Amino acid sequence: MSSLLPYTDTIISYTIAAVALPLVASLINFCLPVKSKLAGWVSTLAILLGCVFSAMVFAAVWDQQPQHVQTMWFTIGTTKIFAGILLNNLSVMMLLLVSLIALPVHIYSTAYMKYDDRYSRYFTYLSFFCFSMLGLVVVDSLVLFYAFWELVGFSSYLLIGFWFTKDKAVQANKKAFIMNRIGDIGLLSAIIILFAKFHTFDIATLFISDNLVFKSVIHDGLWISASGQIPAVWQYVACIGVFMAVAAKSAQFPLHTWLPDAMEGPTSVSALIHAATMVAAGVFLLGRVYPLFTDSELTVLAVIGCFTAFMAATIALTQNDLKRVLAYSTISQLGYMILAMGVGAYGSSLFHLATHAFFKCLLFLVAGVVIHEMQHIKEENDLDIDPQNIQYMGGLRKKLPLTFIVAVVGSLALIGIPLTSGYLSKDGILIQAFEWSEGRSAWLKLIPAGALFTSWLTAFYVSRLIVKVFFGEFRLLKKYPEIKLHISDGGWQYRVPLILLAVCSLFPLFSLNPFFYEKAWLFESLKPAEFMARENIYHTIIPIGVNILSVFVIYAAYAIYVKQNTFSFPQTGFFYRLSYNQWYLDKIYRKAIVKPILGLGKTCFWFDRNVIDGLIHLIERTSRMVASLTAWSDKHIVDGFLHLMAALVQSIGNFARKFQNGKVQYYLYSMLLIVLVLFILKILI
Amino acid sequence: MITLTDFLLVGALLFCTGMYMIVSKRNSIQVLIGIELMLNAAILNLVAFGKYDKLNNGGQVFALFAIVLAAATTAVALAIILNVYRRYKTIDPDEIKNLRD
Repeated sequence: MSSLLPYTDTIISYTIAAVALPLVASLINFCLPVKSKLAGWVSTLAILLGCVFSAMVFAAVWDQQPQHVQTMWFTIGTTKIFAGILLNNLSVMMLLLVSLIALPVHIYSTAYMKYDDRYSRYFTYLSFFCFSMLGLVVVDSLVLFYAFWELVGFSSYLLIGFWFTKDKAVQANKKAFIMNRIGDIGLLSAIIILFAKFHTFDIATLFISDNLVFKSVIHDGLWISASGQIPAVWQYVACIGVFMAVAAKSAQFPLHTWLPDAMEGPTSVSALIHAATMVAAGVFLLGRVYPLFTDSELTVLAVIGCFTAFMAATIALTQNDLKRVLAYSTISQLGYMILAMGVGAYGSSLFHLATHAFFKCLLFLVAGVVIHEMQHIKEENDLDIDPQNIQYMGGLRKKLPLTFIVAVVGSLALIGIPLTSGYLSKDGILIQAFEWSEGRSAWLKLIPAGALFTSWLTAFYVSRLIVKVFFGEFRLLKKYPEIKLHISDGGWQYRVPLILLAVCSLFPLFSLNPFFYEKAWLFESLKPAEFMARENIYHTIIPIGVNILSVFVIYAAYAIYVKQNTFSFPQTGFFYRLSYNQWYLDKIYRKAIVKPILGLGKTCFWFDRNVIDGLIHLIERTSRMVASLTAWSDKHIVDGFLHLMAALVQSIGNFARKFQNGKVQYYLYSMLLIVLVLFILKILI
Repeated sequence: MITLTDFLLVGALLFCTGMYMIVSKRNSIQVLIGIELMLNAAILNLVAFGKYDKLNNGGQVFALFAIVLAAATTAVALAIILNVYRRYKTIDPDEIKNLRD
């Protein structure tokens, strides 16, 4: 009970309401008929109310004393386990963010999924996801955190495989689930180690109010804190566990490969879960357990984040599937967030998380509209095309004007052009990365340089995407000149979310000053205390350098893909193939991990079949042989003996009976014989 | 002169003859005759051994008793044979098997 402000109870009940409403909606939808159109509105109403409650909670807690209530959950021996709600800047920001993103996605989904056969199931899952995610951000116990973490993964699994009749979707959700399991094992081991070390699951005690983790030190190979000491290796294991969880959920190298495949789910799901909220859970986890990481471990994080950002950006350059490009862009941006965490730019990382959620969600919804219309054309004209392939698109800006405008806003935010929210957050990360690398080795200076280079790559692939979809000529029309087009931006359920998110992707939501990220209110509340003010050259040179070059890159993309008058890239080189095949990671995993595991499985199967079963069969045969031997001896020896005795007795009896034939003379004769025999014996002996 | 052994031999011969008749004859009357022969063999022995009791003539006395008893048993036996004949219409001992188990 950290705080006892007068309105504590109201705030806590608002929080509980915000978390529980989607669960209620999910349960109601579960009971509704599968095609009921009511389901969409139940879920949307729940998330709308949740949004209002979240906003109230946010207003009350933001920049105030953190709120923490808990109640005893259960006891094991003398260990008391508490469960409760912890509201600080980080959790209320996530609470509001998730609700705010979920609301337009819900509205959008009511139209997007209108013709689906399992309409109410979709909303059941979607609401269940919202419940899990909102629960994840507010709970105060690592055990509950882990439970919600699993629920988030599970609802993601349900939604990726929503169209489970498609084999690819089934493969994708299996892959996502297995990858996430790897991370879950890491998180679970980290939680167990933390409990063994500090004897509590309470996040507030561990990381915030008492900050036990921060007070512990590593010295002489021992991890020392007030509650005792254990070998330092456990601290590394816990960090690796947390990193695995982060890498799996937030799609970091080497566990990122599930995210592009997860695009098999409905696009609205990709927008909410695989772009804006769930994938941010990893970054949120890092934010929660930030004190656990030591300097060198943070450097490792920065390296991995930077590498992931760079790798994903290079892959996004050549992909032709609209959603896959966006998926790799998400991985790349998540790489930025991890990089920011690694270089100590805690505030910038979370700031980027928030801004990225809006513009990436927007871009996915745009992709949804485009794909929806392409699908429409495909079905109307009975064509055999992939509606997600950007090679067939082009010139859609005239057909879908509103979609085009919001897509441009989202792309500019993603590139980080001034006046957008992306500019504020991304430049913050770059600047702080450069500041961090000062005075470090030359190799570590590669990290900010890589991040900078990646931001130009981002500019290129985003421009390529926009140009290919919206500019130039409609390539499908070129290929099939006879097709008819009846496409438009769609009804208000499409328009309202797009406009809402586009507005949120611009700077005024986050800062009144469109050029200096330090002035953003979100950043000011989250930044570390010892933050450096604008005192060095990076603060000026980096934004200018990034943006001037970005503009050139955008123009270059425009020139290459629209005017077609400059050189085009070779489609055969090593780098093209590396990028197009996604750095061959899927193939490497298939060869190096999946195949050996399948081989191991087959070997185990063979071993089971032949050795274990063989042993059992051998035992079975031996037993049967022994049994038949016993049966034989029972039948022939034991029974035989008995029969022999019986036969003996019978024959003696029969022999005796012969004398009893009722003939008087015979009796006499016998008697005489016996007397004679007796006498003869008497004489002889 | 006639010695004790001669008497005993005649007695044994009589006894064996009677025995043979009992076990081999197919007529109850002849069986009865066989019994009488055996009795008489015994009585002959009694008389023969009577020479060792010349004072009281115990041998002869008991011989007389035995003769009387033999007459009585013969009468009883004949009565039984008569009843058997009435019941089974035969006096062949082989035909009367009701004694068997």
